[in-house]
Amino acid sequence: MLEHFSVNSQDQVLVSKSKLFEVTLKILLAMRMPEADASLASDALIEADMRGCETHGVSNMLRNYVKAFRTGQINPNPKWKYIVNGKATATIDADKSHGLVICPKAMDIAIEKAKKYGIGAVTILNSTHAGMMAYHSMRALKHDMIGYAITGGGAVMVPTFGAIPRVGAVPHSWAVPTDKEPPFVLDISSSSIAANKIELLRRTGAKVLPGFLANEQGIPEMKPHSVPNTVNLLPWGSTRELGSHKGYGLAVVGQVFSGILSSGLFGVHPEKLGSQFVAAYSIDAFTEVQKFKRSMDEFLTYLKETPPAPSHDRVYYAGEIEHEEMENRTLNGIPLHFEVIEWFKMITKELKIPSIDLD
Amino acid sequence: MLEKFHVPIQDTIRVEISELRKTVKSIFIKLGLNEEDSVQATDTLVNADERGVDTHGVSNMLRIYVEQFSSGFYNVNPEWKIVRESPTTANIDCDGGLGLVLVPRAMDIAIEKAKETGIGAVTMSNGRHAGMMAYHAMKAIPNDMIGYAVTAGGQNMVPTFGAEPRLAANPHAWAIPAGNEPDFVLDISSSSVAANKIGLLRRLNEKILPGLMATEDGSPIMKEQEVPENTWLLPTGGTRELGSHKGYGLSAVAQIFGGILSSGSFGKYGQGKMSHFVSAYDISAFTDLDRFKKSMDEFLKYLRDTPTAPGQERVYYAGLPEHEEEIIRKEKGVPLHKEVIDWFDSITSEFNIDDLVIKSK
Repeated sequence: MLEHFSVNSQDQVLVSKSKLFEVTLKILLAMRMPEADASLASDALIEADMRGCETHGVSNMLRNYVKAFRTGQINPNPKWKYIVNGKATATIDADKSHGLVICPKAMDIAIEKAKKYGIGAVTILNSTHAGMMAYHSMRALKHDMIGYAITGGGAVMVPTFGAIPRVGAVPHSWAVPTDKEPPFVLDISSSSIAANKIELLRRTGAKVLPGFLANEQGIPEMKPHSVPNTVNLLPWGSTRELGSHKGYGLAVVGQVFSGILSSGLFGVHPEKLGSQFVAAYSIDAFTEVQKFKRSMDEFLTYLKETPPAPSHDRVYYAGEIEHEEMENRTLNGIPLHFEVIEWFKMITKELKIPSIDLD
Repeated sequence: MLEKFHVPIQDTIRVEISELRKTVKSIFIKLGLNEEDSVQATDTLVNADERGVDTHGVSNMLRIYVEQFSSGFYNVNPEWKIVRESPTTANIDCDGGLGLVLVPRAMDIAIEKAKETGIGAVTMSNGRHAGMMAYHAMKAIPNDMIGYAVTAGGQNMVPTFGAEPRLAANPHAWAIPAGNEPDFVLDISSSSVAANKIGLLRRLNEKILPGLMATEDGSPIMKEQEVPENTWLLPTGGTRELGSHKGYGLSAVAQIFGGILSSGSFGKYGQGKMSHFVSAYDISAFTDLDRFKKSMDEFLKYLRDTPTAPGQERVYYAGLPEHEEEIIRKEKGVPLHKEVIDWFDSITSEFNIDDLVIKSK
């Protein structure tokens, strides 16, 4: 994540992973999720905080989830079922499961299929917010598989040349195993900036950079400006000349694999339902696993050893920064904004559960 | 394609598609390809010209193919083979065969596998140039499948923050069938501008826009200027702030699925050697096909009916402009730069084959 979006150090409190997990689990249990599901969802959510993906961690998301449980938008006790269960493929009706729960489960199904047939892919309908997609794609890693995960839904981004939003900032995530290097994990929204980051800017008071948003008429804002009331995201690429048709196109592809393929979902759903697509590719079905992993190490080393351009210290590859951040946060804790701590105090009091334990 | 990449009207000569096919096929035959491979190579190549993707059509590519076959770097009779296989997957050694010919074959294998299991995917090593990736992805469409194709190799793009090119503008293409609407076909390079377009800009004497290229030391060029002599491609996004790590990441993904998965190839792995990856997803293995196509039509209409931003006439979706251009070109012929016609004249005379027939000037 860009420095621009980080919490100022004077406004933050460091909280350990285990303590954050404890309080998150209790909140989700209070939402009447079964123990195993609440535990899985907490793990998925806090993994985002551990990797430094604040936008998809507890700060931005947990309060939304609480609201969504209360309005019945998320079903804490879903009876999800197969619509199709083929050889390499499946389609699942999630019955409004929390996306943080149904996606890992669907990924496990894809992995089992990939063990048998080489590839497994699952499309999911009637789902809800799925958090950081990298969590789901990364589930394939320990099985020596490449994981892929997409979540669709919503309309927050204008198509190239369009005046109003008609697609989501649909993210695509790939996770690829390595031997000794940190795994390659790419998790990219198809918008110029993740919708959540705008809310983060609102909270930190920072300006919106040129090329992130369109104005109310759909024209790309190419000068720094403050966060507007109506947020129209631009596709990745910002303008047609710089390739906004690529971000727009990736959003459509993601929506097709998740929403259209599963159930025909697109645009704004009245119940804000979402859809996902997950897939696992067994490396062994293509080549020798150890050779592949060693080649990955060589490739990633080659990339990160690229001489840096003037004024840069290092060249990274996708997943490397997050890996280092995870090591850092394992040691030092997760930085949370005061305002988030206040929210925890408020919600735990309301739910009559022990508040977050700060040393 | 942006207007600035089009051939200026006064330099344009139109050629019937059937005539272009005839000449191109004769050239492939003269290069030593057999009848079947020449037909396939011609179909892949000329389809780019039909769809208005001039960067990957005869103008830029055919002379390169002639050079590479003549030098022996491209193998006219490759003994390609499957080195590993599973119910959904295959790994093919291309033996230096032309991607225009072998990638469609691999796509056929992926499609056959998808008929059995729902999904098929093929990774390919030791390949050569594969042309417009959309062609390969689109092979899935008549089979009511979603097609995906990537190609990787070479080094002309800097990683985000890097001063030296360590990967290429590796493109990804998806083709998704619709019902009555033109099919959705997305074919995007992971660089800010396709490498081929630089040559086109030089030929057309056009300037480069900010955010498309880097100077020799890797710094993004952020103002409009002439195409510099030494330049690297930037990942799509241009700068980190605008998401160049996404283009960089997509390029690496293509290199992994094509190069690393097939043979561990990346970086300096033989100048001009390419690796590819194709896959097919059978729609009926996930959902009802008619329902899917109807949903696609609704979705695509919803997108192209988006009210336009000030100064814009229409909102498109990927594949729509190419579909419309194809209709025009089938009627009026393919517009070629007069310099390209001169090249055709010299090569047909050298190969002692019939001249390319001109439709109009």
